[in-house]
Amino acid sequence: MNISGRNYLFSAILVIIGAFLIGGCATEHRFVKKTAFKDANQIIIEFAGPVDETWAGNPSNYTVYEEPDPDIKLNIQDIRLSADRKTVTLSFADPLNQNQPHILTANNISSEGKSLGTAILNVRKVYLGYLFSILIGAMIINNFVFTKYLGLCVFFGTSQKKSTAVGMGITFTIVIVVSAMMSWFLYQFVLQPYRLDFLQIVVFIGLVSLSVQAVDTILRKVNPLLFKAFGVYLVLVIANCIIIAVPLILADNSYNAFESLMLALGAGLGFLIALFLMSSVRERLELANVPPTYRGLPIAFVVAGLFALAFLGFSGMSIF
Amino acid sequence: MPATTKTNFQLVSNGILNENPIFRLALSMCPAVGISTTVMNGIMLGIAVLFVQVFSSCTIAAIKNYIHPRIRIPTYTLTIATWVTVIDLVLAAYMPAAYKEMGIFVKLIVAFAIITMRLEIFACKNSVSSSFWDGIGMGLGFMFGMVALGFVRELLGMGTILGYDVLGVRPLLFFVLPAAGFFCVGIMMAMFNYMELVYNRKRRAKGI
Amino acid sequence: MKQIIRITVGLTVSCLIAALLMGSVFIVTDKAKKHNEHVNVQETMLGLLGYTKSHPAPPDLSLYTIYRYIITDGDTSTLGYVLPVRKEDGAGYRLMVMDLDGQFVNQYALDLMPDEASEPTGRANALKEVVKPPRTFVYADATILATLGQKRLAYLLPGEFPGFKTFIHVMLALDPSFEILGLEIMEHEEDPGLGAEIKQDYFKNQFKGKTFEKVKDLHVVKEPLPVEYKKYLETGRGKASPISEGELETIRNTYQDKDIYALTGATISSKAVTDGVKNMVAKFAYRINRLDSVISAQHIPVAF
Repeated sequence: MNISGRNYLFSAILVIIGAFLIGGCATEHRFVKKTAFKDANQIIIEFAGPVDETWAGNPSNYTVYEEPDPDIKLNIQDIRLSADRKTVTLSFADPLNQNQPHILTANNISSEGKSLGTAILNVRKVYLGYLFSILIGAMIINNFVFTKYLGLCVFFGTSQKKSTAVGMGITFTIVIVVSAMMSWFLYQFVLQPYRLDFLQIVVFIGLVSLSVQAVDTILRKVNPLLFKAFGVYLVLVIANCIIIAVPLILADNSYNAFESLMLALGAGLGFLIALFLMSSVRERLELANVPPTYRGLPIAFVVAGLFALAFLGFSGMSIF
Repeated sequence: MPATTKTNFQLVSNGILNENPIFRLALSMCPAVGISTTVMNGIMLGIAVLFVQVFSSCTIAAIKNYIHPRIRIPTYTLTIATWVTVIDLVLAAYMPAAYKEMGIFVKLIVAFAIITMRLEIFACKNSVSSSFWDGIGMGLGFMFGMVALGFVRELLGMGTILGYDVLGVRPLLFFVLPAAGFFCVGIMMAMFNYMELVYNRKRRAKGI
Repeated sequence: MKQIIRITVGLTVSCLIAALLMGSVFIVTDKAKKHNEHVNVQETMLGLLGYTKSHPAPPDLSLYTIYRYIITDGDTSTLGYVLPVRKEDGAGYRLMVMDLDGQFVNQYALDLMPDEASEPTGRANALKEVVKPPRTFVYADATILATLGQKRLAYLLPGEFPGFKTFIHVMLALDPSFEILGLEIMEHEEDPGLGAEIKQDYFKNQFKGKTFEKVKDLHVVKEPLPVEYKKYLETGRGKASPISEGELETIRNTYQDKDIYALTGATISSKAVTDGVKNMVAKFAYRINRLDSVISAQHIPVAF
């Protein structure tokens, strides 16, 4: 990519991250700076200025409910106001279900005697955190090779040397991100609205072939050096179960665009990690004294089994 | 490779033993590791793969003269994808419980290398009937592999066969985990290698 | 040039044939799928109420489904209940709208037939005629009421909540005092041998007989399941019981108010199911009480 192309890409990424941060921080009312969950059963509200104590301490000024259940109001057990009167902490009797966005209505916020209107606020876990947890989930906790046992044929075929492994991993990540995003678009805007769900398989595999072709052509023209290094692996990508599994999963779970991107990235990077680990071990196995019947694939499977056991340690982890 | 000269029976036995997709050709290992937790899963997926393999082979063998060489691969892919969709819909409608167990793997049949390879190597050069038997052989070989794995894992992991309590106790939960899938496939491959070694040794001893 | 045209035409034709094949298979199997699902759900519901093939349901057992919708109008939301009306008053459906504090707002007659009502699109079409833009509605959940003659027999709640892997779909049966009559796991994607054991009797049946008060405070304990309790949980369904009636009674009383014993190697799945059931029961009890008070206050001629 030439200099100006790189600059554009860089600024695009900055804009996207900026949109995230701004979108994540701003709230729906100009006087409320931030709302967030705290501990297992608390919500904190940060105001832009000091609020009146009498207003803040009155539980009937607040209504809190989980977004899908507007008719069930949660009981506020205790209210604390910070010393500078800018932060209110609401405590609830039962632990909050923090995976569900909560709607908090603060009626007639009263600050310095003036009424500043009613704020309807959306309290949710940091969205970036959620996206990040999908990424880590696909990469390590639910690693596609060791926990979901997909993509094994290519995995065992290209994990003999570190260089092939890394090459395959990177090529694969690029193709899977491209094809997953295209599949998401098609699924959201064409397949689902017209109830053509049953065409999923054909469409997705068609898109995969298309992406492979596209990446092949682009790489050939834009960076012949890169193409010489990685081009060979492109054909193998189609025979990889993961490349079909990712669009199928994001169709099943109705992820939105950002979540799909994270899933695809996580799958690709997880595959890269798995390949890298495996190739490191296999290079050493070449020099070890393996019994003749086990040479080649059988011992590779046993090693993969050991890795799978190790990755089992991550199961059930949830960050954010 | 020219058209085959094997008899139909030889084609089938070839698929099960000599060129067993899982243990010898080392293709389509994803389900072998993942879904072989019970015998029932093995049978169901084996039937699905058999169906797709046979129908795809026959379709390609029937239209092999009309396929332009440059669009070979897309044609294979389209055929396989169509038949996979068909079996997916049929299984979802008529056997929902078994279908749920297999999860995503029925849809993933489209990415199995074994089917595309078989079409490329065999079906596009042979008649419909030979392709039919070859397809049956490959499908049965796959099913045999899955059932063998499923048998070991279900017996040792849950103490049951096809859901019937055989051992009465739950021995090693480990065998139900994916890690055990890797181990079992590796060990079974080694066993197949060993059988081949012994077979070749015997033939050499006989002077063939 | 000719080659490319030939290739394109060939590909297009094959795509069309493939699409036709898949489309026809889809149409045929879709009907069978819906039918099988419906039969499966019916059987599960009857099983939860205690009726099996050998002990079939009496003819005066009826099942009525109430559908709950959330109707939004700009910033305010209201609840809409699609209620079946009794035969004497037309046997159709009515939409009863109440606000978030349980106060009655309005009721409308719906142009809906019973067989259409079980399809989401059928209901949506009927609702669109009554809930006009800018108001929008969203489906929330459904509850099935089982009545024996004039008496309410049980409530059947289909529900779903996140499990260890993805969602777990369950069917919960409550008696009129909200005591759990039974729990069935309809769908799950948990690991076989580990989380999938939530389908086994020795886990599911632990929920049977838990009273409403106990359910509000139900937890999961990570202790091994006592042998006698396991034997008690696995009796039933026509199997010969190895324990006498008297012993069954004592075991039932001992463990009635205990917490749920977690599954070996599947604590997260066990917790997910327990918390899910807890939430379902608490929310349902709250809502049905409000619904009943509005129905009786407004004298809505419901079928149950």
